[in-house]
Amino acid sequence: MRANGPTVANKQLAAGFLLAQPAAYQAVVGKGAVMEGSSSKVLRRATPALLLAPGLVLFFVVIVSSAVQTFWLSLHEWDGFGAVRYIGLDNFRELWGDPQFWVSLQNNAVWLVVFALAPPLGLGIALLVNQKIAGMRLAKSLFFMPLVLSLVTVGVIFSWFYDPTFGLLAKMAVLLGVEVPALLSSERYVTLAVVLAGLWPQVAFCMVLFLAGLNQLNTEIVDAGRVDNARGWNMLRHVVLPQLKQVGFIAVAVSMIGALRSFDIISVMTAGGPFGSSSVLAFQMYEESLFSYRYGYGAALATVLFALMLIFIVWYVSRLLANESDH
Amino acid sequence: MSRRHVSRREFVVGTAAVAASVAVPAFAKKRELVVISNRSNPQQRVALERIAARFGQAASAKVSVNNMDHEAHKTAIRNYLVASPPDICFWFSGERMRGFVERGLFADISDLVAAQGWSKVVPAMGAVSVQGRQYGLPTAGVLWGLFYRQDTFAKFGLKPPASLDELVSMSDKAQAAGLTPISMGTKNAWPAAGWFDHMNLRMNGLDFHKQLMAGKVAYTDARVLKVMRQWAELCRAGLFTKNASSYAWEQAAAALVQQRAAMMDLGSFIKQAFPVGERDQVRFQLFPTIEAGIGRYEDFSVDSVHIPARAPNPELAREFLAYFYAPENLKEYIEPDGNPPARTDVDLTSDPLIAMATNALKTVDGTSQYFDRDANPDVAQAGLKGFQEFMAHPERVDQVLSRIEHARKRAYRRK
Repeated sequence: MRANGPTVANKQLAAGFLLAQPAAYQAVVGKGAVMEGSSSKVLRRATPALLLAPGLVLFFVVIVSSAVQTFWLSLHEWDGFGAVRYIGLDNFRELWGDPQFWVSLQNNAVWLVVFALAPPLGLGIALLVNQKIAGMRLAKSLFFMPLVLSLVTVGVIFSWFYDPTFGLLAKMAVLLGVEVPALLSSERYVTLAVVLAGLWPQVAFCMVLFLAGLNQLNTEIVDAGRVDNARGWNMLRHVVLPQLKQVGFIAVAVSMIGALRSFDIISVMTAGGPFGSSSVLAFQMYEESLFSYRYGYGAALATVLFALMLIFIVWYVSRLLANESDH
Repeated sequence: MSRRHVSRREFVVGTAAVAASVAVPAFAKKRELVVISNRSNPQQRVALERIAARFGQAASAKVSVNNMDHEAHKTAIRNYLVASPPDICFWFSGERMRGFVERGLFADISDLVAAQGWSKVVPAMGAVSVQGRQYGLPTAGVLWGLFYRQDTFAKFGLKPPASLDELVSMSDKAQAAGLTPISMGTKNAWPAAGWFDHMNLRMNGLDFHKQLMAGKVAYTDARVLKVMRQWAELCRAGLFTKNASSYAWEQAAAALVQQRAAMMDLGSFIKQAFPVGERDQVRFQLFPTIEAGIGRYEDFSVDSVHIPARAPNPELAREFLAYFYAPENLKEYIEPDGNPPARTDVDLTSDPLIAMATNALKTVDGTSQYFDRDANPDVAQAGLKGFQEFMAHPERVDQVLSRIEHARKRAYRRK
């Protein structure tokens, strides 16, 4: 059926699609309308391309062309409205010697490591709240709550929590008679304090993914496991987890990319401070471009960040393709 | 395929409609004024809109005021001045204005200033002048200095310090009473840079400060180092709020209001932090003297209003400026904000905070604006971060200065 000329269903499908796109219909059908046979052939071949076109155009205009432009800009010096001057790899050379760049890069690594905890924590909570125990509905909604809040709100709540004068953390420390440093003023702990704030909604997100996965479990396999007397850890390890592999993969990929994208919560809680100790590449890029008016340097930072993300994107896509060829 | 017949009646109606739709905008375009404002104080926005509406009626023009978020406007202006300039925009005088003037983005209004005789009533006209020509009008300024509560000082027997020694003894006394001597919130970094300005102006004078801001002196210069050493001593003596970078200026001001701190370095806008009933307790004093023989030089940051060089309706914009800058209108615009007006014939001394600043201004020998308004943006950013770090770690003075110096070299190599 695939190779043997257009079927009626195919024709109708194509025509239906093209009716919705009069301009495209004109373009494709207008010229070939003389010969009925060749026109439907053209139509059949053009359909997938036309279906893909809106997405592809958007992808190339919004993502690919701006990525290329950013890379081009990273080889130049530009203050935002003056002349653009080519300076080769100078921006990257400056990056190499910029202590702030290394601090940001290191902080990105901290984000990645801590955010890697989100999928296992989310899975644990999902398994917990998935039990049929009284009150679990309430627990479920409480765990879900941070996902409803915007990251800016989460940031503000956590900066109050950390406030060294009236914050809950400081008050608790006084009650317990211990000394807690002012976390958002401490070079050493500030990044960790911000990442923990960011982790809260991320865990909730992973929990929701895993809850959805748990509801999709194949009951036949679970029942078969029961027949074979699997329960507890064995049930989880050999029956449930293998079925959550897809979900887990998505949770990990989204968490990693989320860690690299982190920006808003940093901007709200510390603005990269104190003195840049909690900055990450994305925030430094914003600061260099918009406050120091060094767009070329900002673009160089963006290029490095893009290269880092590319590692995860390539991994994600290759896994996706591998899975597709499996099925 | 059949051609649709158009009746004569339809044709006439259609043509008239097309003609009208072309003609009306062309007519309306003649008298239209677009103002972009960056004011964050809502009452001041209302005042500006009121003035704009009155001008619109008097000049029979359509005036629209677009208000932008103060911080967002700082980046947006670079786009809109090039791409789609309004007729009037609000901005900052000094170095921040000069950057746009050098790129030909602000209109020269020297003839308007001369015709109106504004120079006689506006001592700060120099802040909007580049090589003797004016590119905007100063509206009001923020005079920076030390604020305190009279009742706090009376309660703890403190004395407003006139010299560095008195500042240190005030600090000891305040600490003994359990107060923070100087409330300082450096979360947004600029308050630390303002403190640097004061000390540098007091120890090295205005000429040196101006040269430093213009990028002509290295930050590793011995004179800068001397200032930093003195400042480090104050930090070690416990003069400032602990963990200052955890607080924004509003929280630091709250400590002053709640009598947990003795003084704070700010502008008259500190009144926003005080409950209305307690504003009569607020007192202002200029920064104490450090080196005898150096004049009273202060940070006085002047806000201004400009006509973009490529404004679509420059004539109407000039009419608007003349109207807006009339004493009674300028007064109405400045009143809600609580800062001293740029025109000497605008009298706002009924507001005690403005009165204190206005009186203090009369004793001032010369002014700069503020660190991040005077310095090149790249250097300013490095400086803000550096001074914030320095206040937390005074021992890192050399690293901090060499980092700012690195930014200075980079910024001025380009030019």
